[in-house]
Amino acid sequence: MHRAIATLLLVFAPFPAAAQGVVRGTVRDKDGAPISGASIAIPGTTLSTRTDLQGLFRIVLVPAGLVRVHAAALAYGPIDTAVALTGGDSTTVDFTLSAAPLALPPVDVVSDRVPHFGDRPATSVAQVTERDLDRRAVNTVEEAIDHVAGLQMVNGQTNVRGSTGYVQGLNSRVLMTVDGVPMNQGDRGGINWDLLAVDEIESLEILKGAGSSVYGSAAFGGVINVTTRDVPAGLHTRLRVNGGVYGDPPHPIWRFRDNPGLLGGADFSASYGNDVAGGRISVGDRHSDGYRQQDQDDHLHFAGRARWEHANTRVDVSGAWAVDHYDVPLSWCSRGKCDDKGQIFQPFMVDTTERGARTDSRKGYLAARVRTTVSPQFAWTARASWLRTHFADVRRSATEFGVGDRFGAAGQIEAHPESTRTVIVGAEATYSDVTSDIFGTHSQSEFAAYGQSEQRMGAVRVSGGARLDFLAVDGGSLTAVVSPRIGATLNGEEEGGGTWRASIGRGFRSPTMAERFVHTTALGFDVVPNPTLRPETAWSFEIGHTSAPLLRFMRLDAALFWTEARDLIEPQVLRIPPDTVKIQLQNVVRARIAGLDASVIAAPIPDRLIATLGYTYLDTRRRLAGDSTEGPLAFRPRHLLTLGADYRMGDLGVGADFRFASRPERIELEGFVDPRRVPVKVLDLRAAWKNGPVELRVLAANVLNYMYNLVPETLAPVRTVTLTVVWSH
Amino acid sequence: MVAAGVGTACDGGLQPEPICARTLVGLCGTVRFRGAVPANTENVFIATYLTFPQTCTDLINNRRPIIPGSVPFTDSIAAYSVALSPGAYHWVLAVWKKPGTLTLTPADTQYLRVAGYYRSPTDATKPGIVTVPGGAAAGDIDFVVNFDSLRPATDFVTCTAQ
Repeated sequence: MHRAIATLLLVFAPFPAAAQGVVRGTVRDKDGAPISGASIAIPGTTLSTRTDLQGLFRIVLVPAGLVRVHAAALAYGPIDTAVALTGGDSTTVDFTLSAAPLALPPVDVVSDRVPHFGDRPATSVAQVTERDLDRRAVNTVEEAIDHVAGLQMVNGQTNVRGSTGYVQGLNSRVLMTVDGVPMNQGDRGGINWDLLAVDEIESLEILKGAGSSVYGSAAFGGVINVTTRDVPAGLHTRLRVNGGVYGDPPHPIWRFRDNPGLLGGADFSASYGNDVAGGRISVGDRHSDGYRQQDQDDHLHFAGRARWEHANTRVDVSGAWAVDHYDVPLSWCSRGKCDDKGQIFQPFMVDTTERGARTDSRKGYLAARVRTTVSPQFAWTARASWLRTHFADVRRSATEFGVGDRFGAAGQIEAHPESTRTVIVGAEATYSDVTSDIFGTHSQSEFAAYGQSEQRMGAVRVSGGARLDFLAVDGGSLTAVVSPRIGATLNGEEEGGGTWRASIGRGFRSPTMAERFVHTTALGFDVVPNPTLRPETAWSFEIGHTSAPLLRFMRLDAALFWTEARDLIEPQVLRIPPDTVKIQLQNVVRARIAGLDASVIAAPIPDRLIATLGYTYLDTRRRLAGDSTEGPLAFRPRHLLTLGADYRMGDLGVGADFRFASRPERIELEGFVDPRRVPVKVLDLRAAWKNGPVELRVLAANVLNYMYNLVPETLAPVRTVTLTVVWSH
Repeated sequence: MVAAGVGTACDGGLQPEPICARTLVGLCGTVRFRGAVPANTENVFIATYLTFPQTCTDLINNRRPIIPGSVPFTDSIAAYSVALSPGAYHWVLAVWKKPGTLTLTPADTQYLRVAGYYRSPTDATKPGIVTVPGGAAAGDIDFVVNFDSLRPATDFVTCTAQ
């Protein structure tokens, strides 16, 4: 007890000013070019930062003496160095990193909630960096993450290792955070992928497996954390213009218009910053004719970010607002419902009864974050956020609308009582409300407290913690959910054995207000509310290995995962005697999701050729309550495969990506919808050229114009060729 | 990788499917329309039954497919196809529908009428039996729809609700 009190006093005690200094410097590659986004950390402390566009960094409050400084960046070998620092002084450290495509990338953002020592956590993490985003020339965040091993986007719904499936956008079993702020909709729980312009994004990190022990509800199957670009020092502007064309239907009998569909857009951002403060504003506009009949989309967005730094405190404020007007091709045309030219179905056209369907959508967020580094052993963070979504679905039969808010506040303390131990504790409160003619008027409150700790013992790191969530709907009684998690990693890199990781944790997802209270019509049947829905829960286990470099040019990462879920929410057809049929979301399923997730990166020609392979095998089982028969979960392909290759010659780079997903064995409501579905086989080709401030990128997505659908009666994107020009100053 | 992509993606994917496609497992044919199309016509669709329904409940529960595809009725003739499991189907009929929400219950019959059915080649007063072979389609299942003679379900089965 006395030792604990002494430790607490030591942690909270302000560090003596005379014993502190500043470490500043640059991170560059061997040619002297600055490396932006590199991680700089003082291991064993709360002190860390990232380099700006000029490769500059600055860390204050560094304890005087011989200080170990760690620098790491994606595709470069990390460096540790020791510098002598005198109290009240500053020391300059310039790092030169060597290209090392097989080097394990640093994991930064996940550490916002997960204690670590600059090493990778005990669960699997995939990363999409700024370089990946540029290389792929993608135009949306969805496109950016759709190539990640083990991840599949199903009509806007995110599946990490088969977590979500597809339920018409009424939920998500994956949580999205933007700079640490949860961004799932307050009413439907889904993710607004069009809220953020891809140009605002610096990187994405995908935490696979149950993350509820630190992130709470919605992190049932994983977490996608988006890091937006910081405001660098100096004046910077960036203009990005793109235009493209959709491919025609591959079969003349499916032609539905005389001219090809076009798409295009522009984004502009300007920022100014210095050591104390900075700000950025950006605006963008986009139009698409769509690749199908009734598929036009207009998008407009504004975003802003500001930072203020003083001594040991940093304040960040960010926000965005997006307006979308888009046509809704509800389902493709079946026999007799359009000019089908004698075909059983026409995937490029819609039923005439659904002509004119469109959605007007507005959404925005405002977030503020304060972080104070009290001492090298202690830091606290507070944040507040507001997410608002508004939609109006205009249909021939009716117009539906919904307005949802999600208010959040959180506080977190990070402590390093010893150089080998990290502790994070925090509390969160979230209030969501919805006003809608199909969801009603409701509110949901969530309160949570969590704690995580990690202890290093030689090459082994052990972490553990738990989160306690209380949920209340419409001010009713509280439901409590406990989500514990433990994990361990063994770092055998120095002995040439790679690293091992294992974790087990509990995940949960609270039903969204849309799931509880939706009252609408689908497939001609009434969809009725179910206010008694219970939270879904799951235990997830994972064991993984990252190999040391094999044959000096490749590295393998593989993980076995196993999730046992209860009370999964799925739509059910109710036959209510004597003469009524309805659809209702129910807790009816016990489910198992198990499989293998493997990825390989190879650099057979260093600095020129990099190839990647990702493969996920999914074995899913579901069992209805009171039924001994088992079957696969809907919308979960058994095999997912991604292949990628990039070749660079000076200023020019070319690349290719191939995605395969096997045909899902089961879909929801089979017998009521067109059951046609085929495997996914999509090949993308791309090229990029950079000279000074100008970059040109060409992307030919689905270059073979392969026709497929991910959900019933909805054609997936056809061949799309886009040219993007980026000018940075 | 490009070669692998081309090699795999050139095979498969969604393809046009004409009526009576070679890949169809089920039945197909034509429907000839006679009479005046009622103003309140919402749909005409093709339904099948493995055994002739005896009750209104059979009429709803034993229908294949559960949600039938519609047939364009604005011309004098229309081709149709129905994907079905192999078997001998004892009633293949065209169903006329007026506006109203179906509930997959006997109450649906208030919106539905029998518009015509495939008849036995040997005895035109009786329904014809159509055998769907394994892995193929039964073709030339042609019959007439007469909009001037739409008959309620009670002419064929016992119903407590109409």
